[in-house]
Parts: sequence; structure tokens; C-alpha cells
Amino acid sequence: MQEDYINIILADDDEDDRLFFTDAFEEIKITTRVKTFNDGVYLMDYLNTDGIQLPNVLFLDLNMPRKSGLECLREIKQNEKFNDIAIAIYSTSASEEDIEKTFIKGANIYIKKPSDFKTLKKVLSEVVTINWQYHTNSMNKENFLLRF
Amino acid sequence: MLYLSAFVILVVGALTYRSITEVTKSSEMVTHTYKVNVELEQILSNLKDAETGQRGFIITRDSLFLDSYISGRSKINNSFAELKVLTRNDTLLNTNLIALNSLINKRLIAFQTSYSSLPKDDIDDPTFISNFRTGKSLMDSISTKIKSIVTLQNNILQTRKNEYESDLMATPLLLFSLLLCSLILMYVAYNNIYKNIKKLKATNEALEIFKESTNQSEIVSKHGSWTWNVKNNVFTFSDNLYRLIGEQPQSFKPTIENFLNYVHPEDAEQLSEQVEQMKEDVELPYIYYRVVHKNGNIKHLKAYGKSLINEDNDTVLLGTTADITDEIMSFRALEERNMELERNNKELSSFNYVASHDLQEPLRKIQTFLSRLEDEEAENLSSKGTKYIDRIQNAATRMRLLIDDLLQFSRSNKADKVIEESNINLLLEAAKQDLAEVISAENAEITSDTFPTIKVIPFQIQQLFINLLGNAIKYKAEGRTPKIVITHKVVDAEDEENIVKPKKPFYHKITFTDNGIGFEEQYAEQIFILFSRLHNKDEYSGTGIGLSICKKIVENHSGYITASGQPGKGAVFTVYLPID
Amino acid sequence: MTLFFKFDFNAICQIVLEQTLNDNDIKFKTVGFGEIELLNKISKDQQDKLETALSKYHIEVVENQKSILVQKIKDTINDMVFNEDTTVNVKSSVYLSDTLGHSYGYLSNLFSEVTYTSIENFIILQKIEFAKQLIIKQDLSLTEIAFRLNYSSVAHLSTQFKNTTGITPSAFQRIISKRRAFNQENN
Repeated sequence: MQEDYINIILADDDEDDRLFFTDAFEEIKITTRVKTFNDGVYLMDYLNTDGIQLPNVLFLDLNMPRKSGLECLREIKQNEKFNDIAIAIYSTSASEEDIEKTFIKGANIYIKKPSDFKTLKKVLSEVVTINWQYHTNSMNKENFLLRF
Repeated sequence: MLYLSAFVILVVGALTYRSITEVTKSSEMVTHTYKVNVELEQILSNLKDAETGQRGFIITRDSLFLDSYISGRSKINNSFAELKVLTRNDTLLNTNLIALNSLINKRLIAFQTSYSSLPKDDIDDPTFISNFRTGKSLMDSISTKIKSIVTLQNNILQTRKNEYESDLMATPLLLFSLLLCSLILMYVAYNNIYKNIKKLKATNEALEIFKESTNQSEIVSKHGSWTWNVKNNVFTFSDNLYRLIGEQPQSFKPTIENFLNYVHPEDAEQLSEQVEQMKEDVELPYIYYRVVHKNGNIKHLKAYGKSLINEDNDTVLLGTTADITDEIMSFRALEERNMELERNNKELSSFNYVASHDLQEPLRKIQTFLSRLEDEEAENLSSKGTKYIDRIQNAATRMRLLIDDLLQFSRSNKADKVIEESNINLLLEAAKQDLAEVISAENAEITSDTFPTIKVIPFQIQQLFINLLGNAIKYKAEGRTPKIVITHKVVDAEDEENIVKPKKPFYHKITFTDNGIGFEEQYAEQIFILFSRLHNKDEYSGTGIGLSICKKIVENHSGYITASGQPGKGAVFTVYLPID
Repeated sequence: MTLFFKFDFNAICQIVLEQTLNDNDIKFKTVGFGEIELLNKISKDQQDKLETALSKYHIEVVENQKSILVQKIKDTINDMVFNEDTTVNVKSSVYLSDTLGHSYGYLSNLFSEVTYTSIENFIILQKIEFAKQLIIKQDLSLTEIAFRLNYSSVAHLSTQFKNTTGITPSAFQRIISKRRAFNQENN
């Protein structure tokens, strides 16, 4: 195995959501390391720090103060060093059209935050698994689109 | 008519002239003939005088008698000279005169011979007697000749007299008929002129009425008109144009400079530029500007000009200027109202969106915590506690349904949505995919026609399909597998009574026929109203928003949606989408 | 101008692997995809150098026997799905156990343990992946793609596509083409 664990980052301003998120990963059998940030500015500051280990999957809430999820997405897509990061939009809800727009702008995954914990665990586990397949089987990242 | 009259008058003149000349000529001829005859008689009588004198001299030897002979001779010569002049043009008479002249000459020579050959007092001398006799016979032939000439002349005269008389007879007849002709012509001409004048009068009257009604209509419709001969820079302004700028009609000279005095200072420069431009352009655009009345009132005017070429080949602009102050004012008021409405609408929909969107978050957390309570703390809860949590879950689920639908409703507005040529079959397929779970759970059968591409907002039409199909499955009849038949055809708007005031001649008609519980026909319209429900929410979990969303989506497409139902048998939903 | 490429990842990896071995003067014999037999014993130093050289291409030496078998399962599945010449008439479980010489139960347990997913899911994932490639190429209609991938109908393919990715094939096609246009606009 290439790595012992999967690196996960979440940027979300909502404390409860961050709690659900980390709790869910704790209960998933895949070994992960989860880091959370309170908004887009903190996130981007961290990602632009030298020498850090980049996440395998980055979860972005859309509505965040200071810097929104879409702004983060744009910045990340413009920087080649982030090419290997799978981007998951992690948001309350959006219209079909807005969801498509995030995909067009480069998101790989769109997750509508589920309203029960079991579903949340299932979704996060699937995201990580499928991402893992893409990662370990040299599959074409361009085709990586996933929606829950 | 005029040419004809002139022609007739000319003919009349020519005929009159000719007949007068004829008459003159006839009378001259008569006089001439008389003169010739007189001269001839003169010659004969002179000749006789000379003969008498000669005879006297022979008898008396008195030279006194020779005087009358000598004077007779010179008189004869004078008469001949006169005759020559008179008979210059008459060949026949001339020949006769020449013959006469030679006879007279012979006679005169005979006189000479007879009295010179006369022996002294010997009248009985044979030579003398023979000479005398020759003289006598010559005298007789002269007399005969003159007589014949006179007879000839008289004959000619008689003919001329006849001609003269007939001419004299013909002339008044001709003149009379000509006069008659002239009278007729005059009558016709008068008649024509009278008619024309009558017509002209009527036209004038109509023109007067037209002018007055134009004046009136200009006043009523707040229009003014003007003309501008570009070449000599001459303007005319209609009365009401003066009124439009707050002045008495024709109270100043119509020039562009005078007019510009009334134009709003901010618009004056632009207007004069546009006026300059008008000289060159054939297609003239509308010109908008303001004028300031002397009392300070500001009016909005709109001018339009049309360029024409007149008979002198000058460019003439015909223009109309309208006072559009009222329109502008009401337009502004409307615009303001519109903006206010739009603002309200935006506020409302953003309120709706924010409310439903932001409400989701705490609700989702409540649900998530509840689910964790159920999963992780179930053993720590009493049976009552579990029951309450169950009830809370139910209420929260219901609230989620409402919030989701409200959000859906607020999203189904038209603003910033792109209408594009879409493959409806794919949208229907996507809707079925979305409903895959309920479709397979209920074993629902969905059959559909093949659709052409239609210009729609794709996501909204997909939503429409989802809602209509979902509705049909939700209200399925007990003990019947749901069957939904979707048909498509193109229809003429006039043939469809459901289409009220169509905006397009043809529509796509899409029907969704199900075999569900149906509904009473009296509710056919009510079901589309927001939050209206036909069933208790314990029987069917609905929010009363789904069909309102359908209606909104169809209206976004300028279409129509109708429903009809038969209780226990099924319902038909019909969607009409316009064809461009 | 934009060019689109279709890669044969297996062939590329094989070529890179063989070249790197040659560059490091290591004598070898190719046994199968992702498997070589060394003809001479190599020193620890030599092995380190080879691993560093290969890591550039993210090619790693698989040491664990289980991992080797899992890789073989994956390769067999890829071959089944992507290679047009490999026509599989039997069930994939039978084919796998026949090809690899282990019971399907054993292979299946091993696979789940190492990859966090089941063989069945992996096959579906690969089939959908192939479908994605064909959709993007736009040479074939959905019906043809369904036939090519042994689906009984378009509906079946669409349903599995939607279940696996969360989006419909047409939405996928729309998103990818719009994304390409978007990227071209922004570059």
C-alpha cells in the first residue's frame, strides 16, 4: 500500500457539521486523518503552506464567511500543485443547475449534507472508497464525478 | 373643348373673310364690266362724231368740221388707253379690242383717204364714192364689233351678277349658322366652366373641413406639423406646433432659430445636430427633445420627418411633432411601479429562498442528532422516550418536506434561466431516473411518445416531469399498479379550448394520463393553488406545493397546464408549450 | 486547437517499467502485466535505486503476496472490461477463479480486505468508467455503449450509471463538455 491512511480536509463554518463529519470518519473502518477549518481563508492559508501533506479529498462547504467554497474551488483549480486533490462540495442544498455548475468549475463530488447520521457515514465512506479506487488504479481523474 | 372652340372660331373667321372677299370681288367685276361698256360706247360715239365731222367737211369744205373729227380721234385714243388698262387681265376682251382697234385704225385711214382723195367738189367722183362706201362698210363692222363685245361683256356681267347675287344670298346663311355654332359652343363652354367651378367649390369646402379637422386633431392628439424646404430654408409651422411650445398660432416667424429658443438648453445642441443631419438622411429617425414654455413648463416632444422631392426638384421635409409628455410621465410611473414590484418580488423570493434554505440547516441538525439518539442511545431511552423521538422524527420529516418544496417553488422562477433547445426525451428519462426508487417500488408502468426537441428551461421541465409523474404514482388507486401514459402532439391553438388568449398559433400538447384515484372535476383548478390539498395529510403526504411548481414552470414557458379527473378512475394533466 | 487522447495505461506502465529496468542494467523476463521475473539477484542498493526511479511514475514494487493477487484480480477485471478481444461468456466470478487459480470466495474476501470494496463493485466501477470514456468520445450512442458493455438495455446502463455516480449519463456528458469549454475559456 502506498499510504497507511487517507488524508481528509473539511472547510465548514458550522461547528455541528464539523462534529458530525469527524465523528462519522471515526466510525468508518477506512483509516483516515481528518483536518477541519472554520472558513475558506484558513483553508487556503493552510494549503499554501510549504511542506504540508496535501489532502486526498477536500470537502468544501459552499456558504462560508470571508471566503466561500466556490472561491476556494476556483483558487485550487488554478494551481497545478493541487491537481491530485479530489474536491467534494459539501453543502446544505442547491438547485440541480447550481450543482452542475460546481461540477463544471471542477468539483469531483457533490454531497448534499444528509439529515441522518447513518446516511452521512455511508456517503463519506463511499466517497473515500471510490476516490481510493481512482487513486490506486490510475483511473482518469477527469471522469471522476460523483453525487450524493 | 377649348381647342374645338378655337378651331370653330377660326373656321368661322376664315369663312366670313372668304365670303366678304367674294362679294367685294363680284361687285368690282360688275363695276369693271360697266366701265368697259361705257368706254366702248364712248369709242363708238366718238367715231360717229368723227364721221359726222368728216361728212360735214366733205359737204361744206369748212375746216371747222375737221375739228370734231380731230378731237374725236384723240378721244378714241384716250378711250383705248383706258380700255387697255381695264382689260389687262382679260385675254378674250383684249383680242377683241385689238381687232376693234385695227378696224378703227382702218376706218380712220379710210377717213383720211376719202377726204384727201376728194376731187374738188366732185362728190360723184367714182374713187371718192368707192372710198366712201369702204368707209361705210368699215363703220358698220366697227359698230357690229362693238355690239358683239358689249353683248359678250353683258353676258359675262350677267353671269357675274348671278354669282354676286348667290354670294349675297349665301353669306347671311353662313353667318347665321356660324353664329348658332358659336352660341352652342358658348353654352357648352359655360356649362363646363360652371361644372368645374361647382366641383372646385366642393373640393375647396372639403379642404376647408379637412384643414379644420386636421387642426382639431392636432389639438386633440397634441400634434403639430411643419414643412421645411431645405434649399431655400423656408419653414411652415402648423398652428398647433406653436401651441405645443406654449405660443399663440403663427405668433412668430417660423424659422429653426426661433424654434430653438424654446428648446430645453440641454437638448438644443443635440437637436440642431439632428436637424442638420435631417438634410442629408433619407431615412429619418425619431427625434426626442424637451421644450420649455414661457411659464416654465417642460414638455417632452417627439418629432418625425419625411423627406420628399417637390415639383421644383427641391428637398422638402414634412414633419410631425408630438407632445409625449403624458406618455413619458405615465411610462415613468409605470416603470417605477414595475421596479417597486420587481423589488418586492425579489425581496419575497429571496426571503422565501433564504428562509427555506436557512431553515434547512437547523432542521437537518435536529434530524441528525435525533438519528444519533436513536442509533446510539436507544438502550438508554424509555419506551416513552423512544415513542416521542419517533414523533419528533415524523414532525421533522414533514417539516423537511415542506421546506424542500418551498425551496423548489422559490427556485422555479424565471429570472436568469436560460431557455435552450432541449432533448425532451432525455429530460423525461432523467426524471424517471430520479424517481427510479418509487417507480420500481410501485411497479409503475410509464409509456411515452417520442418527443421532438423543444425550447425549454431544461431543469425546470425535468422538475415538471418529476412532479407530474411523482404525483401520479403517489395518488395511485388501491389495488391497481400505476400506469402512466405520456403523449405528445402538435396542436393548433384555436382548436384547444384550454388555451385562452394564445400567444402563438401552435403548441406542443403533452398529456399525462394516469389510472390513479383521480379527483372531482370541481377541483380541477384549485389543485394548482399553492398549499391547496384535496386530501388529509395523514392519507397522502403532500405539501400542496408540487402542482403549484408545475403551474409556475409551465407559465415560465408561456404555456398552459390543465387537469381533469374522474374520481376512482384517474386524472389527466395536460401541458401546452408554445412553438416559436 | 485541442487534441484528445486515449491512453492504454497498461501498455504505458509496461513500457515505462521495462525501460527503467533496462536503464538500471537489470536483466529480467516479463511474466505478465505488472509482473516480472529477475534473472540475476540484485543488491539492496540496486533495488533502492530502481524503486526511486520508478516512484517518479508512481510505480511501486508490491511486496505483499496478497497485494500481488489483488493486483492480478484488478488486471483481469480490467482486461475483461476494456479489452474488446477478451470475450467473456462465463460469469465474471467463474472467469476470475479459473484464471487466477483460487476460489471466488477467497478472492472476494481478499479483495474487500485490501481495497475497501467488493469485486462486484469494482467490476461495475470499471464498466461505468469505460462507459464514461465512450460517452466522452461521442462515437457511439448510448444504445451502442450499452450493447458494447453487455448491458441488457439502455435503461439498465443508465440506472447503473446513475446509481454508481449519482448523475445520469446525459448529465455526465453535458458536464464534461461544458467543463472543457469552461477550462478553455479560463486558460
